[in-house]
Amino acid sequence: MRRCPDCGVSVEGAWSRCPLCGRTVMGPMRPDPYPTVPLRFSRRRIYRILLLASLVVILASFGAQMLFDRGHAGIGLVRSVWLGLSAMWLVVLMAVRARRDIAKGTASVVVLICGICAYWDYLVGWDGWSLTYAVPIVCGCSILALVIAVPALRIEAGDHVLYSGTMVLLGLVPIVFTALGWVADPIPSVSCGALAVIVLVMQERARVSDVLHELGKRLHI
Amino acid sequence: MTRRAWVRLDNASNIFLAARSDVDPKVFRMSAEMDHEVDGELLQQALDATFDRYPLYHAVLRKGLFWYYLQDSDLRPQVQAEVQPTCAAIYRENRRELLFRVMRHRRRIVLEVFHALSDGTGALAFLRELVIAYARARTAAGPAPAGDGDPASTSSGPAVDPTSRHGRGLFVDPFARYFRRERRPSAAASAAEASAFVRAATPAGLPEGLPAEEPAASPRRRMVGRGPRRHETHVHRVPGTRTPDGRTRAVELTVPVAELLATRPEGVGTTMHLTALLFEAVRRSAGDLGRARTLAASVPVNLRQFFPSTSSRNFFTALRVEHTYGEGPDDLGAIGRQLEADFRPQIEIGALEERLRRLMGLERMPVLRIIPRPLKDLVLGLVNRVNNRALTVAVSNMGPVRLPEDVADQVRRVSFQVSAVRPQICVISYGGWLSITFTSPFLETGHVREFARLLTAQGIPVSVAATRVTEAELAEGAG
Repeated sequence: MRRCPDCGVSVEGAWSRCPLCGRTVMGPMRPDPYPTVPLRFSRRRIYRILLLASLVVILASFGAQMLFDRGHAGIGLVRSVWLGLSAMWLVVLMAVRARRDIAKGTASVVVLICGICAYWDYLVGWDGWSLTYAVPIVCGCSILALVIAVPALRIEAGDHVLYSGTMVLLGLVPIVFTALGWVADPIPSVSCGALAVIVLVMQERARVSDVLHELGKRLHI
Repeated sequence: MTRRAWVRLDNASNIFLAARSDVDPKVFRMSAEMDHEVDGELLQQALDATFDRYPLYHAVLRKGLFWYYLQDSDLRPQVQAEVQPTCAAIYRENRRELLFRVMRHRRRIVLEVFHALSDGTGALAFLRELVIAYARARTAAGPAPAGDGDPASTSSGPAVDPTSRHGRGLFVDPFARYFRRERRPSAAASAAEASAFVRAATPAGLPEGLPAEEPAASPRRRMVGRGPRRHETHVHRVPGTRTPDGRTRAVELTVPVAELLATRPEGVGTTMHLTALLFEAVRRSAGDLGRARTLAASVPVNLRQFFPSTSSRNFFTALRVEHTYGEGPDDLGAIGRQLEADFRPQIEIGALEERLRRLMGLERMPVLRIIPRPLKDLVLGLVNRVNNRALTVAVSNMGPVRLPEDVADQVRRVSFQVSAVRPQICVISYGGWLSITFTSPFLETGHVREFARLLTAQGIPVSVAATRVTEAELAEGAG
């Protein structure tokens, strides 16, 4: 085995210099118990910085709209494109971040899109299009998406039951909008509500006790 | 609906999640070096068999609002070739992956574990069983090594006995056993039930029969123990240059146990003797300590030896010892005896009980329990940082490993190391050889050099194996 004359130690592996003092070692080589693993640099920090920077820019973009005029005339093409790009970037970021948990990701993206639509509606003078069309359509589509995705991706009940429940509840919210008279056309809201009720009945297997079990786990104190 | 068993992660394990970083992913490694190149296929078979008997190792880590929890999974581990640096991160947020990995490299069988899952003793039981299963499978598969008799007649280890404690104890649906009890509000449980709960669900630091008590100490004490704290502000901390990609620098020294023990001063235990040697090595490599003349070590102590437990989960406590240079005799014997005098009272059963009672009170404090998990992480992370500032090194001694006779011949060496945020040594002995592995996040190995020279100066033969961390070292290793 190779030896370091200064440290008086034997060195395992193909070291030409003593790993302790740097002095040249001599003697026959013995196999190294450790592999030689090439340097690898994690991009995690870069991604984190990019994400934070993106969020700051997006939130600033949304916030800045409050400084301008509201109403159809005020928003104009440039601001529409600006808002559109910010909204798209935000939705993409959230979707990518939540990609490993389809149910949770879908629920959070739905909430996000509905929020953005309502804000946009407010900025253009509050015609109510977001509550009449956008929110029910997005909620309805997401419920359908989940109904398809859960069996297709074989998502375990425990992993989606809470978020499926949340989506169904969200699907019922447009009914409330209709009841309060906030919508111009009740058809989308009623359709979404009906879909939510159908799914609720269909998913009777996911009983309240299952939901409570999951809640008990995640809210365990 | 499939209801997977789950258990809340205790505070002792939570600290590893809060304190993990890119440099120190809180992973430890145990490895056994065989007398032959490891056969991947046989190792996989042995792993499958061992894995089935350790339900805890089936767990994945998930996040709740207030706590992390371990949840049972259907994942199966695969033996991997060693292509990552030692103690590379295992737990990745939002991914359902097993919290350990088994690798092989040349003659070594390597087990790496995320510390939130298990402690050294728990992992050693797993590795031991894996090695025994592998070695016996190899003996059965090929021509028996010279001198070996019938493996069945010579098998003496309890590890592959299906009624062994880890096997049977955890095989009987331990998750359900843990969780059902744990979900029951402990305040409403009867005294008998509470005791049974403690017995069944105690994963870390809470010996049964200890009543909860309001914590009398800050969380800080929980981490570092109750050792003397006379010179906190002047504790020396080893400086260094971070490795290029943040990997752990590991240097493994192998020495004959008998010769090391022969040089041990009278009245000093092995752990404190090694701590004294390490302090002296750090002092020598530092040159002038300046005002920071106090060296402090965190010494994890396995609690199973005091409070019998069959749990594989974290069940240890970290005590603290220190020595201040220039305040009396500073020879190795004197340092060792002073450390021993500090350490002994801390591991008295009464002292440990008092300490654990306090920790239990802290863990059960309603105010702390309802703090949301991200905030807990933040607070524990800060507590950990403050603690680190009062520590120079850490010394973890696993003691001797014994294997059944029919297997012992096939194993040459057992070693142990842990990812470290500060210089640390991990000690384990097998077959008359003591393996002392130094880990640190730094390139420099000055303290290891001085440690090795302290040993060789006393005539103790030392063999060194080190991981390559710089570009130049890697180029040489690859060439």
